Amino acid sequence: MSDVDLIRFAAGSLRGHRLRSWLSLTGVAIGVASVILLTSLGEGARLYVTGEFSSLGTNLIIVIPGKTETLGATPFVSTAPRDLTVADADALQREIPAIRKVAPIALGTGPIEYQGRERESVVVGTTHEMMEVRKFDLGVGRFIPEGVRDAPVCVLGRKLVSELFGHRNPLGEMVRIGGANFRVIGVLAPRGTSLGMDMDQVAEIPVETGLRLFNRSSLFRILAEVRSPMEMEAAKKRVVAVLAERHGEEDVTALTQDAVLATFQKILAVLTLALGGIAAISLTVAGIGIMNVMLVSVSERTREIGLLKAVGVTRGQILGIFLVEAAVLSSGGGLAGLAAGIGAGRLLTHFVPDFPVQPPVWAVVAALTVSIAVGILFGLLPARRAARLDPVAALMRQRA
Amino acid sequence: VILEDVLRHAWRAIAGNRQRSLLTMLGILIGIASVILLTSLGEGTRLYVLNEFTQFGTNLVAINPGKTETTGMPGAMGGTVHPLTLADAETLRRIPGVETVVPVVMGAAPVETGGRTRNVFIYGVTHDAPRAWRFGVRVGRFLPEGDPRTGSPLTVLGPTLKRELFGDRNALGEHVRIAGERFTVIGVMEPKGQFLGLDIDDAAYVPVALGQPMFNRDDLQEVDLLISSTANVDSLTARTKRILIQRHHGDEDFTITTQTEMLATLDRVIRVVSLAVAGIGGISLLVGAIGILTMMWIAVNERTAEIGLAKALGATPGQILVLYLSEAALLSLSGGILGLAAGMGAAWLLGLLVPALPVKTPIVYVILALVVSLGVGLASGLLPARRAARLDPVEALASE
Repeated sequence: MSDVDLIRFAAGSLRGHRLRSWLSLTGVAIGVASVILLTSLGEGARLYVTGEFSSLGTNLIIVIPGKTETLGATPFVSTAPRDLTVADADALQREIPAIRKVAPIALGTGPIEYQGRERESVVVGTTHEMMEVRKFDLGVGRFIPEGVRDAPVCVLGRKLVSELFGHRNPLGEMVRIGGANFRVIGVLAPRGTSLGMDMDQVAEIPVETGLRLFNRSSLFRILAEVRSPMEMEAAKKRVVAVLAERHGEEDVTALTQDAVLATFQKILAVLTLALGGIAAISLTVAGIGIMNVMLVSVSERTREIGLLKAVGVTRGQILGIFLVEAAVLSSGGGLAGLAAGIGAGRLLTHFVPDFPVQPPVWAVVAALTVSIAVGILFGLLPARRAARLDPVAALMRQRA
Repeated sequence: VILEDVLRHAWRAIAGNRQRSLLTMLGILIGIASVILLTSLGEGTRLYVLNEFTQFGTNLVAINPGKTETTGMPGAMGGTVHPLTLADAETLRRIPGVETVVPVVMGAAPVETGGRTRNVFIYGVTHDAPRAWRFGVRVGRFLPEGDPRTGSPLTVLGPTLKRELFGDRNALGEHVRIAGERFTVIGVMEPKGQFLGLDIDDAAYVPVALGQPMFNRDDLQEVDLLISSTANVDSLTARTKRILIQRHHGDEDFTITTQTEMLATLDRVIRVVSLAVAGIGGISLLVGAIGILTMMWIAVNERTAEIGLAKALGATPGQILVLYLSEAALLSLSGGILGLAAGMGAAWLLGLLVPALPVKTPIVYVILALVVSLGVGLASGLLPARRAARLDPVEALASE
């Protein structure tokens, strides 16, 4: 018998029991689809976070005042005995050649008011360098001018402008921020949410003005942009050293953007794997289903198998027939599942365009490989049983 | 008697095809076991987190500065950026139903003594903090009562900090330098343990009046109200809000969080997450159900002649339906019971091997697992059973 005949034999059995084949296939398809969809979601989350971080700027070192043994909480409580000052930021710029630009940040919230309309918003006190470090785009007007540290001027986010001014031109108008008058000199281009902060609702003012407004002597953060990614670690060490020298002790925490991003990515990768793994349990169940159906199929075709053996088909060939049958079932299910999973992801992207849902390549490859492997693995027992049938006994057996 | 007959028949059918039945059950077993294990983990986490939060008492209302919201009221009193102050806190003390008020200022600072230094969290609070937060003092006493606007240089250490600085020596009456200032240790707190991974015993408490200059601020990070009962929490927060808005010249520039509200939110979030994860695990249950459907379909096909005979002997379609439905249900339920045992066993083992991992199987889920597995059996058995019931006796008998 030729191999083509053998394959036809296997295909005939699949066709002959259409419902049963379809059901086994559906089991695998559900498993693969859920794995693909979940890993797509995980991958989407990873891409989203990476995007958020790169929108923050590139090669950033974030300096936070305070240092504790319990480091996990440092970023949230930013009051330390020794102030992080604008002079510190200047020192970093002056003394570390690897640093291209430094932007100090003083942060607070306050009411912004224009002709009776009021909006509580985040106010960022910073310098001209902020625009380059964070890669802001300006809509109209200009940003805080270079070298200006203390002046009653402000640059507003897009949404803030539309809420306070409607369709009027805000440039040159006076607004009240926290009770003091500020002249609007620029409007930022729409930017959207960045790390949970809606950048379109932020007002930027000169850094010293900000410190005075919030009655603070310490900066919230210093952002430093390093010239090249290679110099990151060295620059980070220098930042801590320079500030330790100025403060008399090491009392700041410096984080590199990459380190923070890497932590996030690690967490997301573990989550994706865990959820994908839980979904993959259903593939095992689907495999068991295939095995069960194949066992039935072997026992139903005992006589046929006996006949095949009697005309000289080898054990290996019989084994092959049943393995191919199982593999066809499971890989067919795998393909269907892949299509369904990707389709569901597309549908999701359609409704939530901001969230990039797409299956990672490794998951697609893994899902197909696993689905074929499931078929072969769970098909092995029935196939071996078929291969080992004694031809005489098999032929003698009456069908139940 | 009839139920017994039906069950006996179903059992015989299941036992007659032992391998096939076991494999089918295995599908359901895996599904139920993974759902039970995952919900046990979810429930354990929920109880753990709730417990972590309630250890501070449920009668706590926290007020933090800052709020982002459009007010847009014409003629609203514009104002300065109003921080929360000690004076605000003292005013709230007069509201009926408020047992005590704890103003909080916090930050990180080095605590040193005898050449040892440790950077920890410093909480600037008042006499009533242990009462509001349900802390206990192990040795000595807490900060003395008195006007919160003044304070003596006294401090109470958390047990971890005490051990790190003094070892087994007595710390009472000793001097420590906190952020360079000299404080006398008057007490050591009882161990409270970790709060969501943060060691809250690694801290020092100082009078709020001294904490403010230490962190160079004259406002507060938080004001905690201890209320006498949670029954009137709504009217109380409304009143608090009114008073603070009035004090802040018409601005609602603060956020009030009640402990009950926060707990409810947390509870909801964790429930949703664990339900979602269990749902993903439940996909395998669906695949298992398809397995039952397939095997029952095959069984009905195989027993066509038998069914025809039964019908010829006067069995009604209803009886045949019940017979096959109960076979499917019995298969699924046995799988479910085994899966329940396996899932609970795995959860128990996990709790034993990783004691830090909170695991709890709620009784509701146990019952639910049984109901679901029974339901899965009935649902997946319906199609094959209906086919059996509708078989034409003459054709069925002739099919042999």
